Order: sequence, then C-alpha cells, then structure tokens
Amino acid sequence: MKIIVLNCGSSSIKYQLFEMTTQTVLAKGVVEKVGLHGSFLKYEPHDGETIKLDGEILDHQSGIEYILGILSSKKRGVIKSFEEIDAIGHRVVLGGEEFNKSVYINDHVIQKIEEFVNLAPLHNPANLKGIYAMQALLPQTPQVATFDTAFHQTIPEHAYMYAIPYSLYKKYGIRRYGFHGTSHRYVSQRVCEILNVDINNQKIITCHLGNGASIAAIKNGKSIDTSMGLTPVEGLIMGTRCGDIDPGVVTFIMQKESIDIPTISTLLNKHSGILGITGISSDMREVSGAAYDQNNDRAKLGLNMYYYRIRKYIGSYAAAMGGVDIIVFTGGVGENSSETRFEVCKDLEFIGIEFDKSANRKLQSKEMTISKANSKVKVIVVPTNEELVIAQDTMEIVMNLQTRPRDLLW
Amino acid sequence: MTESLEDYALTRKIQRKGTIQKIGIVGCGEMGQEICRIVSQFGMEAIYLDISGEKVKIIYERIVNQLEDEINRWGLTESDKKAILSRIKGTTDYNDLSECDFILESVNSKKPGSNLEIRKDVFKRIESVVGKDAIITSNNSTLMISEIASVLENPERAIGLHFMSPATTIKIIEVIRGIDTNQKTFETACKFVKMIDRKVIIINESPGHISTRLIVTLINEACELLLEGVASVESIDKTMKQGYGMQFGPFELADRIGLDKVVKWMDNLYQEYSLQKFKASPVIKRLVRANYIGKKCGKGFYRYENGKMIGETIISAEFKLQ
Repeated sequence: MKIIVLNCGSSSIKYQLFEMTTQTVLAKGVVEKVGLHGSFLKYEPHDGETIKLDGEILDHQSGIEYILGILSSKKRGVIKSFEEIDAIGHRVVLGGEEFNKSVYINDHVIQKIEEFVNLAPLHNPANLKGIYAMQALLPQTPQVATFDTAFHQTIPEHAYMYAIPYSLYKKYGIRRYGFHGTSHRYVSQRVCEILNVDINNQKIITCHLGNGASIAAIKNGKSIDTSMGLTPVEGLIMGTRCGDIDPGVVTFIMQKESIDIPTISTLLNKHSGILGITGISSDMREVSGAAYDQNNDRAKLGLNMYYYRIRKYIGSYAAAMGGVDIIVFTGGVGENSSETRFEVCKDLEFIGIEFDKSANRKLQSKEMTISKANSKVKVIVVPTNEELVIAQDTMEIVMNLQTRPRDLLW
Repeated sequence: MTESLEDYALTRKIQRKGTIQKIGIVGCGEMGQEICRIVSQFGMEAIYLDISGEKVKIIYERIVNQLEDEINRWGLTESDKKAILSRIKGTTDYNDLSECDFILESVNSKKPGSNLEIRKDVFKRIESVVGKDAIITSNNSTLMISEIASVLENPERAIGLHFMSPATTIKIIEVIRGIDTNQKTFETACKFVKMIDRKVIIINESPGHISTRLIVTLINEACELLLEGVASVESIDKTMKQGYGMQFGPFELADRIGLDKVVKWMDNLYQEYSLQKFKASPVIKRLVRANYIGKKCGKGFYRYENGKMIGETIISAEFKLQ
C-alpha cells in the first residue's frame, strides 16, 4: 500500500510517499514559497539523487501537481502512475473537540475543518487547500486527516479550561486544545520502546522545540497538559510567537498603538518571540551565532528567556504529574541544538537529572540518551516522525473502509 | 537541455471550474491601490493599468510604501509583503488584461462631469481585449452601472462593485445589478467578494446606493450645523462617534473620502434627484475651492501632519488662521 502524506503550510507543502508494507519512504521533499518569488520543489527519492527545481508555483494545487508529476515521472519517479497512490494522509492543525483521533475525510469532516478556521486561522486554511487540491487531482483516492489536537483530547477539564466566564466556553469552545499532538504522541511512544519501559506507568515530559514549540505532560501514555492553548501562541517562547503573556499587555498595546484585532494577532504571532526580542532572526542558529560570536546582548537575552520558559514548564509539569521519569527533546531545535538541551537541563538536578554533557555535545538529530546511566530522570533525544504516524493512521482507516461505508467513518 | 520544474507538470492540467485567478484593475488611484493589495493578499494576481509608465511606477512605489507602513504598524511581515508584491504587476497596455477573469474599473477623473464618458470609454476598451467570460465591474458610487455598461457589446457581463474607503479594513462591498446584468455575472461577482473575505450587500440599482446616499446627506447636514454656528467640527464629530458609535465623525469621514469627491457625488445625486438635500453645502464647496480637499493633501476640515490629525481648520464656517 502506498500512502502520500502532506503537511500543507501557508506557503509550503511537505510531502512523503510511504510504501507501507515495508514502512519505507519511497521519496520525500518539500515545495517552498508557494505563490512567492523563488518558489521551488525539493525532491529526495530513497535511492536516487536529491534535486531542487526552481519554477513558478502559484498555489497549493499546482505545487501538488508537480509533486505527483515528479513522483510518477519516467526520469526520476518512484511510481509508474500517481494512481498507484492508495491513500492520502493530511496533517490538519485543529480538530477541536470533534476529533480525538484521525478520520476519513468526507464532507462532514471538511465542514468541521472549515468551521475551525476561526480558531486556527493561520493553519487550517492551508490544510484545506491541500485537501481540496487532492480532491481535484485524485478524486477517487481516500483522504485521511490527522489532527494536531487529537492526542491532547485526554487532557482533563481542570487543565484545559481557562478561568474566564464558563458561558464563553459553551458559546465558542474557548479552551486549551494544544498542538503538535502527533509529534508528542510519537516521541512519547517511541521513547518507551527505546528504554523498553511500559508507557502505562511512565511520567514523560516531551519538548517539541521547532520554530513553533510546545511541551506536553504525558502520564501513563495520555496527554494531561500541554503548553499551547486555544491557539498555538500560548506557552513557550517561539521563533516569532510570544508564548505566555499577561492578557493585560495585549489590551494595553492595542490601546496605545491604536491597532485592530488582525494587527495585534500578527504582532503576537509573527513579530514577537525570539525575532521580536532579538531583532535578529527567528532562527535559533542565527541568534545563537549573534550571542556567542558577536556578543550581542539582546541575542543573549532572547536565548535566556527561551531556556527559562522551557525550564519553568518542565518544573510545573513535574509538579502536575507528581514527578517525572523521562524528558524527551524533539523538533528542529530540540534535535539539533545541544546548547538548548544543556541550558534547559542545567539547573534541574534537583528533580533527578544527571546530565551527560559529552553525550549531549556530540549528538545531532538521532535517537540517543543524554542523561547519565544512573540518572533518575532519563533525558533522551528522539527525532520526531509525524509523517510516519499520519501514514500509519491513514493506512488503518483506509483498511477499515473496505468493511465499513465511508460516510460512517467520523 | 537543462531540467526544469515545468518538465514535471501533469499533462492533464486541471483547472477548477469557475476559478477567478487574474484580476485587472483599471485606474489605480488610492482605491485602486487598495484593491490591488486586497486581491493579491487573497492569492489572486492583480494587474493594474494606469495612463503612463511613470504613473505605473509611482503606483507600485506607493503600494510598497503602504505595505511597509503596515509592517511598521505590526500588521504584516516582510514575507507577507514579498508575497503580496509578487502578484501585483502594472501596465499601460490594455492588451495585458486579456487573460483577466475579472476586471475592476476604478477610474477617477478630476475634470467635473467627465467621469461617465471616461468610464464608458474604459469599459469599451476593456471589452475589446478580454475573453468572452470575463466579468467587467465598476467601482461606481453615484453613476449607474447600466449606463456605463450600455456601450458594451455584452452588457450582461457588467456589474457594479462598490468598495468603501479604507477598503483594506471595511468588510462589506455593495454589489449592484444593472438592468442587463445576468445571473452568472451576479454569482461570479458575489463569489469574488467572498474570495476576498468581504460580505455582499445586494443593491437594486440606484444612484448613491446605500452608502454614498446616506453619508453625503450626513456630511451635508453636519455642514449646516457648522454654518449655523451650533457647534465646532470636533464637537460634532465627537458627538456622532461617541453618541452613535460611528468609527469616524462626519467631518473626519469627509476628509478621508476627499471633499472633492464628496462634492462630485453630491452633484451627481442632485442632477439625478433634483432634491435640495443633495445640494453640496457652501462650506464644503468653499473648502474645495481653496484646495482644502482632505487628508490626502494635509488639510480639509482638519489639518494633518504625516497623516495624523493635528487640529481643525475651520470654526463655524470660518477658516482658522493657522
């Protein structure tokens, strides 16, 4: 069975084509700068040459057409025809309280994803573009949605509610949904396989640190809290998002700067975080370079704020779970920045971490333990693999389609 | 031959039915520029046409400046700006509009009484280059779309779309069916309005629609209050803003629209209805004659510095000396 997994962002499309019988990736890549100058397609077949092709990619549909075109091309293809693709799995950011697991995409599901656009205005529309494009290109091929929020549906009420008038929760569904659920789910399960422990009696804190970043408390295999909330702007400091902030600051800025709602949203989502504090970049590598190579004070400040916020969350989640057995680092920064892992863990000896500095320093983007052998709390890097999870979920649902009518699968 | 992305285009090019992808904007004053930004922001291509190469260049620079202002006000990011600009192109040649699915005419003539003829001419020129399914619209306030469209060979493809200023923040558009406008044109226009995340206000053709007809009478009546010495510009505006929750008071609004435009609208409405209430107040006329035409020139009912209001120019129909 061949499954293509798509992760559509506002101007990018990440794709992976899986052969599920062997669980191998036949090809993967990304389309970047959709609708912008300098758009390109990157293509990495499993046993061929990686190429980057520049050209005009006006929208998601044409981006996906090129992906299918190259996957099935004579010269570089890994399949003979794109009709060989048995199913499509989509990453969808917000599924609200409606979806606590992956689902077959039918009209009802699409309508719900549309309804959630107002809760995830930066993400759900792009995910929908991918779904619509595939409907147009491969109308007979089943599509599955895997939601970022689904894994966090186990968070108990006392942790997901905000202390605002209850009627607003009833009226609009204002509550913590959390994001990066597929990643938190994958790395928490994977880390237990690596350590050969039973997930059902582990207290795990998973730190997904990428350009967007979130942290989750996973007790006995279930997410019981996470740092992102109704929107992905809450919690950790991110590349361009502010994370936790006094709501009074928001109304104060709006009043003083005479700005409207879309503008304050852009300010908090795109002009803040590491970029906003340092004024240098949203990329941790650049900021780190400025802090250590150029001795830039604001870069140092940004990094210290970033580390401090993560540490604070680890402490609070250890309290929430009554302890912690495993801390996992994942995501672009979590997997690659030894400095971030070190700075986050350095004052946490009191909760039982014995950090292995040399193991940490050597490590880049692979599964490895970075706490000492006798450390009470294990600290482990687990590269995330959301695409594989989406492909597995998609396969399971599509196999069930053969026995159940499609429209009942939600 | 070197390998290119196009080598991997699918042979069966699938175009979703009825998509609106390329928008032509003829006449690119302030409103035209705003429309360009909106259209591009929502992922469509915008091709604007104006009368000279120099103007086309200036317009592009203005759009760039507006986007930069927006970044400084936190409303956009650099990458948003790049994305928006990548879909905006300027031209002086009508032939460049040939592939447009949807054309918005937003011509603004300074010469009094010339607008109708100019717009008719523009409509004819648009029709001579676009495809048979292209929709031609006019951002008309007081002129009748049926009259402008009367010069077309296929007037059923014409419809009025009235954007209000500032179009980038106002979320409604008046959609005006002309006598000949057919259902397909109407539906496509409504679809376009929805594509740019605006709400449709359906209008049965009438000069001034809802918005212009009501706002000019309000501005005019505010001028009457001023003439009678009832209250100051600021007090009248403050009363309407705070008392009735209006975003701008009548004078502030007149300055934003442009007093010259207000007078032009009123002249057209007066010509149409011959009603006293549409006769422009001598206060506005006087300001226009003295070139106090509003925010765009730094003075109208208020004085402006770098776009910020710094004081009134007029007290009870008397000009304030600095």
